[in-house]
Amino acid sequence: MSAAAPARRFLVCDGNEAAALAVALARVDMVAVYPITPQSSLVEYLAKYIADGRLQAELVNAEGEHSVLSVLQGAALAGARTFTATSGPGLAFMFEPYLRTPGMRLPIVMSIVTRDTLTPQSVWGGHQDAMSVRDVGWVQMYCETVQEVLDTVIIAYRVAERHDVMLPVNVCHDGNYLSYGTARIEPPDQNVVDTFLGTPDVNWHVALDPERPMAVDPLTGGAGGAGPAMFVRYRRGQCAGMRDALDAIREAHEEWGRLTGRHHAPLIERYRMDDAEFSIVTLGSMTGAAKDAIDEARERGRRVGLVKVKTFRPFPAAAIAEALRGHGAFGVVDRSVDFAWNCGPLYREVLTSLHGITPAAPSQSFIGGLAGADLTVEHFESVIDTVGQLQNAGARDTVWLNAQD
Amino acid sequence: MRKTEAAKVMGMERADYLIAGAGHAALAAMHAIRLVDAGGSLTVVGRDRQLPYSPTVLPYVVSGRSDPKRVFLRDEAYFACARTAYRRGHAIVRIELASRIAELDDGSRIEFGKLLLSSGARPVIPPVTGLQAVPYHVLRTLDDALRLRAELPRTRHAIVLGAGLIGMHAAENLSKGGARVTIIEVQGQILPGYFDADAAAIIARAFEHDGRVTIQTGTRAVSAEAGAQGGVVLHLQDGPPVSGDLLLIGAGVAPAIDFLAGSQIRCDRGILVDASMRTSVEGVWAAGDVAQAASFYEARPVLNGILPDAVEQGRIAGMDMAGDAALQGYRGAVPLNTYSYFGRHAVSVGSGCAPPGAEIVVRGDADAERYLKVIFDQGRLHGIFAINTPLDAGVMWQLVRRRTDLTSLRARFLAQPREVGRALMSRLWR
Amino acid sequence: MPAYNTIAFHADRCDMCGACMTACAQAKSASDSPRRARIEVLADGAGSFGLAMCRQCADPECVQCCPAAALRKDAETGIVEWDHDRCVNCLLCTVACSYAGISLDEAVGHVVKCDHCGGDPACVRACKTGALEYLTTARIYNEVGALEDLFVPGLAGCQGCNTELLMRHTLRRVGPNTVLAAPPGCVPGMGAVGYNGMTGTKVPVFHPLLTNTAPMLAGIKRFYKRKGREVTALALAGDGGAADVGFQSLSGAAERGEEMLFLVIDNEGYMNTGMQRSSCTPYGAWTTTTPVGRESPGKSQDAKNLPLLMVGHRCAYVATASAAFMTDFYAKLDHALEASRHGFAYLHVYSPCTTGWRFPSRQNIEVARKAVESNFVMLWEYSPEAGLRLTHPIDDPAPVKEYLEAVGKYRHLTPGQIAHIEHHIADNVAAIKRQATAPL
Repeated sequence: MSAAAPARRFLVCDGNEAAALAVALARVDMVAVYPITPQSSLVEYLAKYIADGRLQAELVNAEGEHSVLSVLQGAALAGARTFTATSGPGLAFMFEPYLRTPGMRLPIVMSIVTRDTLTPQSVWGGHQDAMSVRDVGWVQMYCETVQEVLDTVIIAYRVAERHDVMLPVNVCHDGNYLSYGTARIEPPDQNVVDTFLGTPDVNWHVALDPERPMAVDPLTGGAGGAGPAMFVRYRRGQCAGMRDALDAIREAHEEWGRLTGRHHAPLIERYRMDDAEFSIVTLGSMTGAAKDAIDEARERGRRVGLVKVKTFRPFPAAAIAEALRGHGAFGVVDRSVDFAWNCGPLYREVLTSLHGITPAAPSQSFIGGLAGADLTVEHFESVIDTVGQLQNAGARDTVWLNAQD
Repeated sequence: MRKTEAAKVMGMERADYLIAGAGHAALAAMHAIRLVDAGGSLTVVGRDRQLPYSPTVLPYVVSGRSDPKRVFLRDEAYFACARTAYRRGHAIVRIELASRIAELDDGSRIEFGKLLLSSGARPVIPPVTGLQAVPYHVLRTLDDALRLRAELPRTRHAIVLGAGLIGMHAAENLSKGGARVTIIEVQGQILPGYFDADAAAIIARAFEHDGRVTIQTGTRAVSAEAGAQGGVVLHLQDGPPVSGDLLLIGAGVAPAIDFLAGSQIRCDRGILVDASMRTSVEGVWAAGDVAQAASFYEARPVLNGILPDAVEQGRIAGMDMAGDAALQGYRGAVPLNTYSYFGRHAVSVGSGCAPPGAEIVVRGDADAERYLKVIFDQGRLHGIFAINTPLDAGVMWQLVRRRTDLTSLRARFLAQPREVGRALMSRLWR
Repeated sequence: MPAYNTIAFHADRCDMCGACMTACAQAKSASDSPRRARIEVLADGAGSFGLAMCRQCADPECVQCCPAAALRKDAETGIVEWDHDRCVNCLLCTVACSYAGISLDEAVGHVVKCDHCGGDPACVRACKTGALEYLTTARIYNEVGALEDLFVPGLAGCQGCNTELLMRHTLRRVGPNTVLAAPPGCVPGMGAVGYNGMTGTKVPVFHPLLTNTAPMLAGIKRFYKRKGREVTALALAGDGGAADVGFQSLSGAAERGEEMLFLVIDNEGYMNTGMQRSSCTPYGAWTTTTPVGRESPGKSQDAKNLPLLMVGHRCAYVATASAAFMTDFYAKLDHALEASRHGFAYLHVYSPCTTGWRFPSRQNIEVARKAVESNFVMLWEYSPEAGLRLTHPIDDPAPVKEYLEAVGKYRHLTPGQIAHIEHHIADNVAAIKRQATAPL
């Protein structure tokens, strides 16, 4: 009797359900929830899993996102694996404890189901919420597909809990497109996830346990005594954790690929870049349409490639420089705005990554998909056309893709 | 090497604090030391082989009121808890002040840091010719009391030499036991020094009313000889001889200071001490019956064989020895006496010697055997003497010591000394 | 050395009715004659009253002076016990005692003295004016004195501050199996959490944000409970964070019945950051953000009654306490701790601030006492089962002016403002009393 390969299981779900599935598979200890569009169904799934006993976790229905994250901070300080999700205004309300989480080195994982920020009033997708907190110290990864949402949430725990990282992780997936868009996914077996994550690695350097009493976060800094140097030591330690996260993310994706056969690009994905003469850079779910546009342009003979950024924090500057160097002009498509520079934030970061590389490549910032606006293949065709015609480096006005839609 | 260790090496016991005696003054001192210095080594040397007890309780052991097994003031556990070596049945016989070594009657030697002499008093045996040849009793130790108690059932006629508290208590007990008792007192009244003549007369009447007690005051025994059937005959200065089958000598006590003969420690009738109970030799204190300390009333130091005073002196000595910063110096001896007889109660606080210009007020009701005598000196309480008149002796003691001006309260005080005393207490030191 | 219960006498409450003496005589001598009592209340001749009774001295002179070993101080009860069988009636104890605490009862022919009736003194029971009080504060010392002080020595509070007292007592009682949250304020300000890597306590301690003390503790508590470990979650918070910016999260945790003991030290404002107004600052009070000037007479709104709001949450336990009434505080601490095992326990402690309220540092406890005795604040406790109950009712309150005059932040008050405060107190008393009598 020959051993039959186990039948592969698939299911069709949206990104919010995929994230919830991942949380259950990660055997999270505590979930704190508060409704906010477009993440609400994600925590509803979790509440149902817990109610059904499918996930053995503590569910805290907090009275707001501020407390949601505060509850998780407490639980993480006691050694728990924790999860929550939020969007737009919820993230803004959460900001005070959010700002503090990386400094406390708490390996909390939180999905940002991205949403454009107020005001103008809007309940639709866009990266503005996540981009507004990009410099606080959380690791941030953006997903392209429903499957990647599921896989990345699991990968996030492995990254966050690695001892040389010990930082909170945001898994960003686009509101509307990924939150509600359904696709066929293949969920991993529980034992695969268990193997992958192992036992939660508690950061005993930051723990509140009467059996090993310590003061967590006593006052430091100031201008005298041990304060200034100690404050610098904490800050530099945090920076080292961020730096090490790049390697941790790579390692985790490799291991996940080995276990599941799904090899997501950990930092950036190069798509048809080998012989590209110019390229576009994308972030998140727009990448699917962009790849279709690239394929069509290639069929038309345009030697164009694509670089998808998955890991936005820490910023994979070296990988991006390596990917774009020698490939001519590039355009960056953002779903959010950098108000200070009147361009997309990813665009600015990509430019910064290329600092010092000569000759400077011509480049263009595109902003599209704000507040739920569609980014279609046609939009990317226009992007490709525009980038293909760029002649020399230098400042250009941002192109607003949905200005006429 | 520290001194204590050196002494150990040399095989000699060493005590940071050495206390001679185990009476009230000694125990109060020990307590005071331990309140401040929990660690210093402390040795108490007591003459008696028994646990500490009070001579004051002995008449009640004789009468049977007190169970001799239950009179002890402290037990071994107390000394153990206080980390105190209690050497029972020993006395210090010699002190080498230069080397600070005390020698005990068994030849052992204790090197001391500080020494308290509180070895008490012993009975005075009056110079009566032939007394040493006849059997007599004294009452200073528990053994004395047990011996005397054993004699009571077969005593028909007892002679009590001395009408002090010991003699009067014994006389009452003997008479209650059915014996006839003759009390012989050299002074003109019973209880001299304790109560004034008027009060003494009221007390004496209670004894005479009993019918079995004869009191002969103002006479002295000059010689003694053996009488019939092991009895004693006492010849008096005036009057016919008295014969009895038991003789108890209660002629007072004197400080037990023989062992200091020839030492540099200055003595008069007792060991002279200052307001901190320090003797003339540094590092040596004295307290209790053995000490002669300042009087509250007179310039010259006095012996004040009063139990509460012994406690106070002992405490002062202990505090000073241990360096207790809260120490307040001795304010002078005030005579204090309480005396219960045939169900009546007498109290005296203060001096009965009225100074010139003092006002003496006596209130009495002979039938009810009530008596109150108050001496005011410049409006202040100098002494108060009461029989069957309720008052708080401790409060009166404070009024005397504080020299509280009672001028405006005089009439009310005389009418209700207890109530006025308590009101003043509430106002002045509560 | 243990501490003992005692009978306290408040002369100012005594009307010399004599009920105590009669009750004592009846209890101890089967007599109605006050002369047979072991307690005597007397006019001291200076317009007040005194008390003659045994004080159960710590180092009793009567015991040392008893020749018959008939008196001894009981190490457990603290009572100076008199043994009839050993007593020889010598009365030397009456000489030794300067306080008329032991005296001869001629009717029985021996000395008698108070023995606290075995812990339920008849005199105290008979006293209708509250002049006699059986103080059981000793329990605090005995039960808690042996417990470890879990804060480091030398917390740097302001001179005369009562908060250190409250903190140390609380943590002692709550014990080492605790996670302590000290949100920004005076508690961490004096070093409770620590500085520069050094801890301020012997229990795990942390700074939450001013805004998220309750939910952080909730996360900790819930996770330990899930792991099967019973750990006490304790907050030592201030009124500003709790009543203002942290109120939402406090309310949320209370509504969810998160199991913790949330203790608010109410010093009526942001005293740690320099005496700014909070919603707990009373009407009329000067603060640095409600300054007194030509156009402003201090705070123009009444204080938020935070503990009553917590009652509105039907917490497992809510109580108010005062730094001046530690026995009351301790009883409530016990109840709160117990309640925190199954729900949200909220303890609100009124805590005058010498620095921010402008009064001499030695008067802190006195000011706290005056606040209670004038009904400016009220001491009560609540549970859903038992309802609200006044634990220290003040039926005959002292004029609030006496309290206001003791505190510098009210120095500027006009008669109109004082009238407003009096009116507010009357309203508050009525509201609390309504609650206290309301059916559950």
